[in-house]
Amino acid sequence: MGIQEVQGNGNAQAYQKKRSAGRGEGFQESLLQNLRYRDQEENAITDTETEARKKAENVGVGRIGITSGIRVNAAAVQEALQAVEVRHMSYEESDHIKIAVTEGYTLKGKREDSEEARVYVEAKYDDGRQEAYQVEIGKISDTTEHEIERFALETMNEA
Amino acid sequence: MEQKWSYLVDEYRAMLYRIAFSNMKNRADAEDAVQEAFLRYMKDEKPIQNKEHEKAWLIRTTIHICLDILKSGWYQKTVPWNESFENAAKNIYLPYQVKDDETLEAVLQLPVHYRNPIYLFYYEDYAIREIAEILNEKEGTIKTRLRRGREEVKKLLTERRP
Repeated sequence: MGIQEVQGNGNAQAYQKKRSAGRGEGFQESLLQNLRYRDQEENAITDTETEARKKAENVGVGRIGITSGIRVNAAAVQEALQAVEVRHMSYEESDHIKIAVTEGYTLKGKREDSEEARVYVEAKYDDGRQEAYQVEIGKISDTTEHEIERFALETMNEA
Repeated sequence: MEQKWSYLVDEYRAMLYRIAFSNMKNRADAEDAVQEAFLRYMKDEKPIQNKEHEKAWLIRTTIHICLDILKSGWYQKTVPWNESFENAAKNIYLPYQVKDDETLEAVLQLPVHYRNPIYLFYYEDYAIREIAEILNEKEGTIKTRLRRGREEVKKLLTERRP
């Protein structure tokens, strides 16, 4: 892929005109411009990566390392989900369970005894990781595609 | 039966039966394997350090008994009557409801080195560390078997679906 293809926008042409404008003092200006354009490009790449990551996280299922896992959406953590200590709850103690052999994880959910509707969710992955979340049901969007949020809603309905 | 053994039977019988059934896929052989495991435990003179070791010992012994039965010449020449391997998942009697019998059926069809780690991890909810202890393997080996076993389950399910 050539440089033109990478830059591929109006800014790139403007930069080329400036670059051929002069030497000496122009060099400094050119260097500064060069730095500025590089920053812009880097930001553009970062934005694209963030966008893709956000999409995956909104769905709730991503891939961590070689094993499939449930990525927690950073925004959702502030909203409905809160990471908590793993209690090592058994299947018998749980109100609802999900066994996802082909995805490599299990989920256990239990409705909490509190005034606000809350569900404790424990996730266990086949790479050995264990995670737990406190989910506030009231803050979950009805149309959520986040796996843990959806599971928490199911747990609430089961309990 | 002595008091000290009856608690053991009450506590572990159902779980050991499910593990034996996942290997034998028929009720009579699973029950025989569990009985044999309890008998060996009662006859064993060695003291077991704690409850966790006790459970691990019983599961390990049950699995070994199942594998010995499956390997025996007598077993290979006979077929249990009135029960089909195809419906093994329906007869395993898990203490919770499994919505996806098809996946459990595929797990029960896996080769033994994948089947036991996968069954213990997903359906009996054991941690990788516990499974490693039960099966006398390293944790890394169990993780690898879980990952490869999962791929095998996917393959089996894909082959079944039209």
